[in-house]
Amino acid sequence: MTEIVKPSRHNLFNTHILPVSFEYFAPKTINEVLDLLSRYSSNAKVLAGGTDLLVKMKMRLVEPKYIINIKEVEELSYIRDEGEVVKIGALTRWRQLEKSELIKKSFPALYDAVKVMGGTQIRNMATVGGNLCNASPAADSAPPLMVLNAKLVLASKRGEREVTTTQFFKGPGKTVMEPDELLKEVIIPKPEEGVGSAFIKVARTATDLAKISAATALKVEDNKIAMVRIAIGSAAPTPVRTPKTEEALLGQPFKPSIIREKVRTVVNEISPIDDVRSTAFYRREVSKVIVEDALIISFNRASRGG
Amino acid sequence: MKEMEHFFIGKRTIRKDSIPKLTGMLKFSSDYYVPGMLTGRIYKSPYAFADVRRIDTSEAERMGAVVITPDDTPSKLFNPRLVSVLEVTYKDYQVLTKHPRYLGDAIAAVAAPDEGKAQRALEALRVEFENIRKPILDPFEAMSPNSPLIHENILKGDERINVKNNVGCTLEYSEGDVDKALENADIVVERRFKTNRRYHMQLEPKTSLCIPHADGSITIYSTTQTIHNTRILIGQVFDIPLSKINVVKVPIGGAFGSSIQVNPVVPITVALCLKARKPVKISLTREEDIYDHVAYQMHFRIRGGAVKAGKLVAGELENVMDIGAHQIQAYPLLGTALGWFVSLYKWRNIRYFGKAVYTNKVPTCAFRGYGAPQVSWAVETVIDELAEGLGIDPVDFRLMNYVGKGDVFWGQGPTVKSVIRSDGVPELLERGKELIGWDRRRPPSEKRGRYRRGIGVGRSFHTSGAGGPISGEAIDYTGAILKVNEDGTIDYITALQDHGGGTLDAHAKIIAEELGIPPDLINIVWSDTQTTLYDVCTHASRGTYVGGGAAVQAAKQLKEKIFNYAIRVLEKAVSPDVLRIGYDKELKQAVVYVLDNPNIKITLKDLATLAWQRNWGSIATTVTYRAKAAPPSFTVYFVEVEVDTYTGKVRPVKVIGGADVGTVINPDFAAGQLHGGFAQGWGMTVLEDTPYLGNGELMNRGFITDYKIITAQDMPKLNDFQVIFAHTYEPTGPHGAKGLGEAALNSVAGAVANAIYNAVGIRFYELPISPEKVLEVLKKKGGE
Repeated sequence: MTEIVKPSRHNLFNTHILPVSFEYFAPKTINEVLDLLSRYSSNAKVLAGGTDLLVKMKMRLVEPKYIINIKEVEELSYIRDEGEVVKIGALTRWRQLEKSELIKKSFPALYDAVKVMGGTQIRNMATVGGNLCNASPAADSAPPLMVLNAKLVLASKRGEREVTTTQFFKGPGKTVMEPDELLKEVIIPKPEEGVGSAFIKVARTATDLAKISAATALKVEDNKIAMVRIAIGSAAPTPVRTPKTEEALLGQPFKPSIIREKVRTVVNEISPIDDVRSTAFYRREVSKVIVEDALIISFNRASRGG
Repeated sequence: MKEMEHFFIGKRTIRKDSIPKLTGMLKFSSDYYVPGMLTGRIYKSPYAFADVRRIDTSEAERMGAVVITPDDTPSKLFNPRLVSVLEVTYKDYQVLTKHPRYLGDAIAAVAAPDEGKAQRALEALRVEFENIRKPILDPFEAMSPNSPLIHENILKGDERINVKNNVGCTLEYSEGDVDKALENADIVVERRFKTNRRYHMQLEPKTSLCIPHADGSITIYSTTQTIHNTRILIGQVFDIPLSKINVVKVPIGGAFGSSIQVNPVVPITVALCLKARKPVKISLTREEDIYDHVAYQMHFRIRGGAVKAGKLVAGELENVMDIGAHQIQAYPLLGTALGWFVSLYKWRNIRYFGKAVYTNKVPTCAFRGYGAPQVSWAVETVIDELAEGLGIDPVDFRLMNYVGKGDVFWGQGPTVKSVIRSDGVPELLERGKELIGWDRRRPPSEKRGRYRRGIGVGRSFHTSGAGGPISGEAIDYTGAILKVNEDGTIDYITALQDHGGGTLDAHAKIIAEELGIPPDLINIVWSDTQTTLYDVCTHASRGTYVGGGAAVQAAKQLKEKIFNYAIRVLEKAVSPDVLRIGYDKELKQAVVYVLDNPNIKITLKDLATLAWQRNWGSIATTVTYRAKAAPPSFTVYFVEVEVDTYTGKVRPVKVIGGADVGTVINPDFAAGQLHGGFAQGWGMTVLEDTPYLGNGELMNRGFITDYKIITAQDMPKLNDFQVIFAHTYEPTGPHGAKGLGEAALNSVAGAVANAIYNAVGIRFYELPISPEKVLEVLKKKGGE
């Protein structure tokens, strides 16, 4: 067998050299961003923190002709308390979430995720919108936002639309966004009284991508589960909710033995694989454990009023 | 033990390079830029086992790049490591090859004015491959007579030898009668072990810069643990006289053994530089670095036996090493693996079979501990099992059988033997037991619940260098130059490299102690090969012991010369014998004085100035030094772990790290070695590996995203990590000191594995003991 080849993958795959040229824009307003997106559409990529995009470009997985750096679009960076909801601009850095008392108090599951997403340097650069748009099955922001019923605002020249976080993901690296759309904002409704939430990530080390992760939100009334939402990351092509398990838990008394019994079915609602980070077997086994653990933490937090 | 009053040794001091490092001002090889410099890139084989038929360089050359292929480089085989003597040096490397034997072998290289242009030129190369074969990734498959040969013939020294069954080299050894001894043993344990294939993850990816000069000479800046061996190897490969090569010592961002050999990037840079006649620099990307080197992966079978009274009677070790595509130091490692085995415990009857087997994988090289972490993990598991089988406390069993004071020690293999003269093992074991709370250790059968804790002990050692009273197969000597400057300060010139552990700071303190001069008045010169004497390499934990030994000898010689000048000015003294030199606390400098007449004195500063003004000449000395021993630095870890039986995750709860390093030169640096050694050992035990895809590609594809190492957050809290030092004095060492770097890692895996067993009652014989493996075994055991 004879074959003529260009350099091997690891001559191309690297995280250091970027030998391709592209046109670069640094707009200052959302309107300018939307204009550029409408003009260049799928030939363009939005650059926010760059912690995922630049790596992918150096790895030659994406070769955009146009880069739209939104770093200077100040109107995209905010955490706003609007009473019923909290609105987070897509350009908000993870470090800002980490330092926000509002996030810590209102959305414990999201705050859990913030604490374990990357190291401080990454959190200083990485943005909320970037983590979502990168659409990794392991995105740490996804499971908490899913169980918190967060909505995402997508904007384009054609107008704005809202999707739920659960609807947003379509596959690894794939979302429902059209090429001319920009993720503008995340809207998280403040949980009603008595709701507790939590996020647990299992990883190889303290600074790592999730092998598997889970977020839960829970409300118990009269010792019966009145509301429960479960989302699992890194166990399917997208982060997923587990509606059947949630349904089975509803109305059940909150007793450890019952919880343990009922969460077993989460394994039927995920489709984990063997990869370099872990095994399908492990992910299935541990999904049950961390969902149960997250429910108990959620319950304890609700009881403590947080 | 000898207590001595020290002015500088044993005191906490700030490293000389700490501020340059903290401020980012220290320049590493990749930071160097010289005018007109080209940047090189290397074409790495996309196939793990193939041959190159043709290389089309035309497009790359049209783009203006300088291109080299195997036709432009010397075809001679070499071994990039020159630490062993020629007769036992196995050579199978070429600068560039037409016969790639792993996915990553260098086939061609380009140089262009910047990295982007070089990368585009690299991508313009067209290489035609033939004989594309399925890679052999398993050493046992490689040894099958049906497997194709990865290398048909190689060189052993200057002699061409044919490779049989892909076995690169072998070593066998026998002492006494193992079979007979085991027949009479009351207990025999036989186990098979498999270690992981760990990447070094040193901070600095390999870099090399080569600068040509008008007179035909070249200067090299590179990531290396040995500037002299770099010079010699480049001289040998390219037939350049050594007087025309200068290798500059540049700070390196760690190595952990990965730059003992001259990195393959260096000869490639030289070849590009010679062709371009311009300076050329190549810095490997992290992804390329992961494909450059990895730790030796070992498959062991150990059979050990003991009698009821607690005496070991025999030990047998079979060691099959999966060395990957090339030999770096496989043969000497076959010797040291045996050395670690026989020097851990008195087996009394010994048998050893060692084989190094080629596979189409990333080449293996030394990684902190040079096989001792692997061997010690396996031996410490077997020792624990034997103790348990005999119903003897594991600590007592170790004390009854370990190789200690007065015993013959040959850690670095059969040709490097010496008698142990300092031994802190009993002290470390006793104190460690107390500090960890050994008495509260309960058998695994008594553990219940989701989170189970266990306590384990592991011990090991490392040699301090590879010296000895006779000349063996390892080259080990060093050199030192000391000169007193005209103001009484000192320039210390050595080729010995500091990996980042503070080795040269230790030397400065040793010289300071000998001469009574404050360490901050001693300049450690960033030297090069043309102004230093030969040093073999900073490896084998020899930096402090061997380099420090040379420093002591040089300081003693310098002292005599100082006295010969001082005698001219100090009244009453008629012979240098009555002169002494020491640190004057008030003057804060070195003072030469007359014995019993301390008021008759002159500062070294004044003496040096006088020698200059009166035309007496310089005060300077040169030493070439070989250590007459390679004493063991013993380490003991006691570790408490907690296993989450629902997720298989293991957490370090408490660590007692004990080390016998003789005199402690700097307590902070020494403690740092134990913290770092534990972190690396913890990663080895529960985390790290580089598995392969069937095509010979790494599963992580070179990305550190998927090669994790332990972070500070994964370590026990500082309060739960206690370091203890034995109160010992090594008579052959500089001021009683021994080495530490590798010993600090070697005993970790054994301790952790034994602690995991004590927590959950399961022994693991394959590293890493990942949560996936733990959970799978627990599920099987639980019958769920």
